[in-house]
Parts: sequence; structure tokens; C-alpha cells
Amino acid sequence: MEKIESLIRMIAGTALLLVFALPSPAQWVNYKTPGIPRTPDGTPDLSAPAPRTADGKPDISGIWRVNGYQYNIGKDLKPGEIVMLPEAQAIYNERRETNSFDNPWARCFPGGVPRAFLSPDPFKILYMPVLKVTVILFEAVQTWRQIFTDGRELPRDPDPAYMGYSIGRWDGDTFVVETAGFHEKNWIDSAGMPGSDALHVTERFHRKDFGHMEVAITINDPKSYAKPWTVTLPFTPYPDDELVEYVCNENNRYPTAK
Amino acid sequence: MKTTRLATLAMFIVALAFAAAPAFGHHTLVAIYDTSKPFTMTGTVTMFDWRNPHVWFFMDVKSADGTVTNWGFELNGVNVLRRAGWTRDSLKAGDVLTVEGNPARNGGHTANARAITFTNTGQKLLESTAAAANPQ
Repeated sequence: MEKIESLIRMIAGTALLLVFALPSPAQWVNYKTPGIPRTPDGTPDLSAPAPRTADGKPDISGIWRVNGYQYNIGKDLKPGEIVMLPEAQAIYNERRETNSFDNPWARCFPGGVPRAFLSPDPFKILYMPVLKVTVILFEAVQTWRQIFTDGRELPRDPDPAYMGYSIGRWDGDTFVVETAGFHEKNWIDSAGMPGSDALHVTERFHRKDFGHMEVAITINDPKSYAKPWTVTLPFTPYPDDELVEYVCNENNRYPTAK
Repeated sequence: MKTTRLATLAMFIVALAFAAAPAFGHHTLVAIYDTSKPFTMTGTVTMFDWRNPHVWFFMDVKSADGTVTNWGFELNGVNVLRRAGWTRDSLKAGDVLTVEGNPARNGGHTANARAITFTNTGQKLLESTAAAANPQ
């Protein structure tokens, strides 16, 4: 009897191994994320408490997505909250009239800050208190940011950068990131709100629970806007999936002329 | 002050219009394609180009007078298509398809493909999971 049982176990085990070894095209994007809270039926538990890191802070790490703000980051704001200066308004109007044809993203340039968050594609935040840096890997156009938490200050007179230079600190349970050092080529969203080299972005990441992170983004660009403005975007976890390679210049057929 | 208010109002209206713009991974769909002119077109696949930033396929389309034109169709990126159930083997030369799409604004023989349906099996593939939720 015992022999039969062990034989059955062996056959079952082999069958299980075979099932897991079979190649499946959806395997990578449907891979179960380990270590996340789940309800009894295996669904990620979005209302579970926010995970904490060894330093006691809410862990903002994970794969996230922001949906619905790609074209217009300010869609939830009241009229008058975003006031463009005349030159910025002229740039914006031209981009609207041409349906965002000159969108730098379409030519494989990095999205910038905060626009890199605004793709429908996910991104992965890696908060690393020991290394004193937070890295964000963006699937869209395959770019990244580094947010230093080692106490350094923002660089003075840096070479302008698409993704700027970022430093982070904690304000209670909120991770506050200051970013500056951009050039004037960035778009704030796909509709084409401009950002200049004077742009300073403040992001306040507040993970309320496992499934909800609110990120308040303040755009302070005195060359483009009459006053700073703030939008609060909902970041949603993107569990049981993984970033996939996105080499934008592989085969870009985006037209060079309208 | 009045001008500023008018400009803000204009911006708000434009913003409202674009809040509902269809999502396309790395560039704006409306920059190249005329979403006000949806069409369907049937033909035979000549090439499936499974690469980023956007996947393309090419198809011979026969017109009423018998002339054959090769059309190029742009889909979403490899990443989005994989999540929507496509694979690099989803299309092959010789497949006969009906495409639901929007023509390029420049009048060339290119278009965006929102969905394809295989003539022999009736199987339908959408260019993104969002397209399933919000058909244009």
C-alpha cells in the first residue's frame, strides 16, 4: 500500500514538474508576485496594511501604474489652477493644433518628470534604505530615475537632463522628492503642457495601504506658469506581472514630417 | 485679466476634449491617425513585424477594380499586446483578416488597427486590453 502511495506521489510530482516546465507565452507577464498580501482566493488584497521597510517607513517599492492622466495631467483641477504664461501658452496651443505631433516620447526620448509616470505602461519603484537611493525603472521607452536619500543637496548648475536630478527625504510617513535640473525640451503631459529649464518638481508619495498610493505632484516653473500648481495622482499596484523589455529605437516608424 | 480667464477657459475645454483621447503606448494616436474615419478592411497578411515601439503588420488588400495595394497597420507595443493575449506568432503571412482601424492623416497606405478578426476562425484580437473596455 505504501509503495503504491509513493508511486502515485512520484507520478503526480513528475506531472506537476512537467506542467511548470512547459513553455507558456504568457508566463512572464502572468508570473505571481511573491510576498504580497492576498485574500483566501489568491487575489491581491488591496486594502491590506502598507508593507513597511526595516526603517519603519511605508515601503513604496513595487510595480505601479497610473491610468487616465496620460493626455491631461490637470484634468481634475478647477479652471484657473493652471495659469500658463503667454510664451508657454503659445507653445501649448501649437502642440494642440498639431495633435502632439512633436511629442518627444514618440521619437523615443525619455518622458521626463512627472510625465514618465503617465504612460499606460507600468514602472517599478525600488526603495533601498541601505543603499540610500530609490530607483524607478520605467517600462515606457525603458528609462530610469535615481532619487538619492543620502543627504546630498540638489546639484548647482547641472548639465540639463531629461529626468532631472532627484533627492528624497521622509516627512512622517510621506516620501518627499525634489527634482530639478531639467532642460526646456520636456512635456508635462501628452497634450503638451511645457516645462522649462526652471522647472522644479516636488513629489509627495503617500502609501495609504497595500493597494493605494497617492502622489501629490507640484509643478513649480516660473518661466511657464504664473504660480505653482499641484495634482494628486492615484498610483495602483500592478501585481502578478513584470516589466518587459521596450527598446524604443528598435523599429520606430513614427513619421519625421507631418 | 479677461484674456487670461478666456485662455484658461479655452484650455479647460481643450483639456476636457483630450481627457477622453484613446491611449496608445508611446505616441498619441490622433497625431497620425484620423479617429473620425473608422473603417474595416479585409486582406491577406504579407508580414508581421513583432518589434517595439509599436508592432506592425502588412496586408495585401484587393480593391473593387482588382488592383492590389499593400497596407501597413500599426498596433500597440509588444508589451501591451502581450498583456492583451498576443504572441509573436499571432499572425503569419497568408492569414486572411478583417481589420478595424483608422487611416493615417497623411493619406498614405498606413492605418492604425484597433482589432483584427481571422476570416477562417472568427477569432478576434484587440490591440490592447483598454480597447476591450472602451471600444472607440
